[in-house]
Amino acid sequence: MTGFLIAIDTTAGTTVALLRDDEVLAEVRYQDGLKHAETIGNAITEVFAKAQLEPKVLSAVAVGRGPALFTGLRVGIAAGVMLSEATGAKLIGVVSHDAIALEAYSVEPALAAKPLLVHTDARRGEVYWALYGGLDRHGLPVLLAGPSVGKYAEVTANLVEEFGEFNERTQGATADWLARLARKQLAEGFATDDVTALYLRAPDATMPKPNQQFGKRVSDDR
Amino acid sequence: MTASFIIRPASAADLADIMSIEHECFPTDAWAEASMRDELTATHTHYYVLLVRDNASGTDSVQGYAGLSKLTSSEQSDVQTIAVLPGNRGKGFGRALMNQLLQTATQQGAKQVFLEVRADNPAAQKLYESLGFNVIDIRRGYYQPDGVDALVMSLDLPSVPANREPIVLGIESSCDETGIGIVRGGTLLANVISSSMDLHARFGGVVPEIAARAHLEALQPTLHKALAEAGVSLNEIDAIAVANGPGLAGALMVGVGAAKALAVGLGKPIYAVNHLVGHVGADVLERGEVEVPTIALLVSGGHTSLLLVRDLLDDVQLLGETIDDAAGEAFDKVARLLGLQYPGGPEIDRAAAEGNPKAIRFPRGLTLPKDMEKHRYDFSFSGLKTAVARWVEVARDGEEEFSVADVAASFREAVVDVLVTKAVNACLDNNVPRLLLGGGVVANKRLREVAAERCAKHGIELRIPAFSLCTDNGAMIAALGAQLVMAGREPSGLGFGADSTLPVTTVQTA
Repeated sequence: MTGFLIAIDTTAGTTVALLRDDEVLAEVRYQDGLKHAETIGNAITEVFAKAQLEPKVLSAVAVGRGPALFTGLRVGIAAGVMLSEATGAKLIGVVSHDAIALEAYSVEPALAAKPLLVHTDARRGEVYWALYGGLDRHGLPVLLAGPSVGKYAEVTANLVEEFGEFNERTQGATADWLARLARKQLAEGFATDDVTALYLRAPDATMPKPNQQFGKRVSDDR
Repeated sequence: MTASFIIRPASAADLADIMSIEHECFPTDAWAEASMRDELTATHTHYYVLLVRDNASGTDSVQGYAGLSKLTSSEQSDVQTIAVLPGNRGKGFGRALMNQLLQTATQQGAKQVFLEVRADNPAAQKLYESLGFNVIDIRRGYYQPDGVDALVMSLDLPSVPANREPIVLGIESSCDETGIGIVRGGTLLANVISSSMDLHARFGGVVPEIAARAHLEALQPTLHKALAEAGVSLNEIDAIAVANGPGLAGALMVGVGAAKALAVGLGKPIYAVNHLVGHVGADVLERGEVEVPTIALLVSGGHTSLLLVRDLLDDVQLLGETIDDAAGEAFDKVARLLGLQYPGGPEIDRAAAEGNPKAIRFPRGLTLPKDMEKHRYDFSFSGLKTAVARWVEVARDGEEEFSVADVAASFREAVVDVLVTKAVNACLDNNVPRLLLGGGVVANKRLREVAAERCAKHGIELRIPAFSLCTDNGAMIAALGAQLVMAGREPSGLGFGADSTLPVTTVQTA
C-alpha cells in the first residue's frame, strides 16, 4: 500500500510525523510531557504545513496506544480517531514500545544479539516495559514479554532469570518510528484498527467504606 | 426496496476501489491511476465514494464515486466524473451522488455547475435533466477513441443567503457524559449522549479516571450516532465547538484533543466554549434565542451556580456557587446514607414521594443573616448532609422506627428551598424577570414544582428546557458555538487547553 500516513504519539511528549510511503515528509516534536491537549492541534497542523499538503490526502492514521501515563495518552488516541473520521483514512493502533524497539534495532542492528528491554517511566517508582527478541522475517519487532508495568528492580530480576542478559532502551517513542512501524504492519498485513489505550493499571478509585453508609457513628466514640 | 448506502468523502485510500470501478465503467477511456490520485488529493476537488453494505457479511464496499472541481477564485464548478457499477444502477445511487456534488458546490459558493455527458448515454442525460440541468452546447467527437459527441449541460444554483445558518458540531466531555450534538444555527439536528454513570455507581460518585476512559471509548460511536441522527456528513459541518471547562481536567482533555483533530482534519474553525454558559445557550434550541437579561440556576452533580446573564456572548457574571458539595453530590451522599442507589437524585425523589417534607426541619445552608451578607448567592450542602447523617444515626441508635420517606422528603425540601430562594432573590435583587434552570438536578420533580410556584408568585418567567438539553450534552455546546459563529466571532486558536476552573466570564477561550 502506498500513500500518505500520519502518526501521532502522546506517550511522552506530543509527536506527529507525516510519511509518504517510506519517506518522512515532516515531523514535529513537542517535548512537554504535560501539555498534550494544548499542543496536539498545532502539531498536526504543522506537519501538513511543512509538507504543504492537506489532511484529506491521508490514507492512514497511526496512533500510539501506549503503555503510558493516562491523560496524555488519551489526547493522542482521541485526536487520531477523529483525524481518521475527518479524512476517511484508515485507523491503525500501534503499541508505542514496539516503535521504540523498531527504532533501536534499525539504528543499531547489533542489539539483536541479545533481548532488548524497552522501558519508560510509569511514575510511582514503576516502569512500563516490554521485552523484545529482534525483528522477524517481516521486519517487525518480536515481543518476548510484556507490555506490562512494574518496579524496575523486580522486572529486571525476573527477566534475567527467564531470558538471560539483555540490552535496555529508555527513551520515549517518536512518531516517525511509529509511522514506519505502522507502514510495515500495513504492508505485511499485520495492521490493526484496535486503538484501545494500554493503561495497564486500574483506575484509582476507592470503594465507599461500609460504615460510610451511616456516616461517622457518634456511638463508636463514646 | 432501497439498498442501504452511505456517501462519504473519498481519500487516497479509496484509490484502488475507484480505479477498479473506473476500468469497469469506462473500458475504452479510463483515467490513468496517477491522474485519479491527483484528482483525489487536489485541494480544489471534492470526491465522494458511495458504499453499499452487504447484509450477509456486514461489510461495506465502494459501488460508485463522483467528483466535483471548484476553484475558490471562480463561481463556476464542474462535475469531473461520476460512476456507479453496472450491477447497482437504477437504484438512485447516481442521483444521490449528484445531489451530494450539488450540495458541495452550493456550500463552496458556486453559482453554476457544468458537466459533459456522452451523447449515447440517454439514462445519464435523463438524470441530469431531472436535476435541472440544460444542454447548452455540443462538442463533436469529444470522447475518444470512440468518437462520441459530448453534450455540455449546466445548472444554475440557487444563491445562498450570506447569513446562512452554520452547521456546528459540539463536543461535551466535562464530567461523565460524552455528548455530541449538531445544530444548524438555532435548530437542533442531533443530540447524542453516552453516559458512564453505571460505571460509577458502585463508587457512589463520579470517578474522574473512569469517566475519562469512558469518554475515549465513547467518542467514535457517539459521533456516528450524531451524524446519522442529524442526517449530515462531516464535510457539511461548518465549525466545531468544544467545552474546554469548567469540569474534570482529564475528561475535558479527551474532548479537546478530539475536537482539535476533527477541526484540523476537516479544515474547519474551532470554538472553545464555556460548559456552564453552554447550559444557558441550550435555551436557544427551544426558543431560537436566549432572552436576556436572565438569571440562570445551574445544578448538577458537579456544579451549583447562579449566573446573571445580560448577554449570552458578552456579559455573563457568576453571582454565586457552592462553597463545598454540589447539590447533585449531596443527593448522592444522602441516598447512600439512606441505603438508596446511585445516582441519588431519582432515588431520593422516589423515596420522598410518600414522605412529609415538613417532618424534619433540616438546616438551609448559608441562609442565616450573617451568611447572607457574605454569601447571599452562594450555596453549601455539606452541613445539610451531616445533619441528615446525625439525624439518621440518632434515630438508629435509639432504635426508633423512622420513615426513610420523611427523611428523603425533608432533605429534598431543604435543598430545593435554598436553591429556589436564592435564585428568586437574584431575580428580584437584580430586577431580572426571568429564571432559567439547567443541569441534571433539574430532573428533580420537586425543584421544578417549587420553582414554578415561587416564580409565579413573583411574576418571574421560568424557563426549563427539555431534560435532554438540561443534562450535560453536546447540543448546548454546538448551540453556543453557532451563536458565536453567527455573531461573526473569530474562531479560537488551536493552542487552548482544558481549564477545570474556567470562569463563566470567559464564554469563549481565544
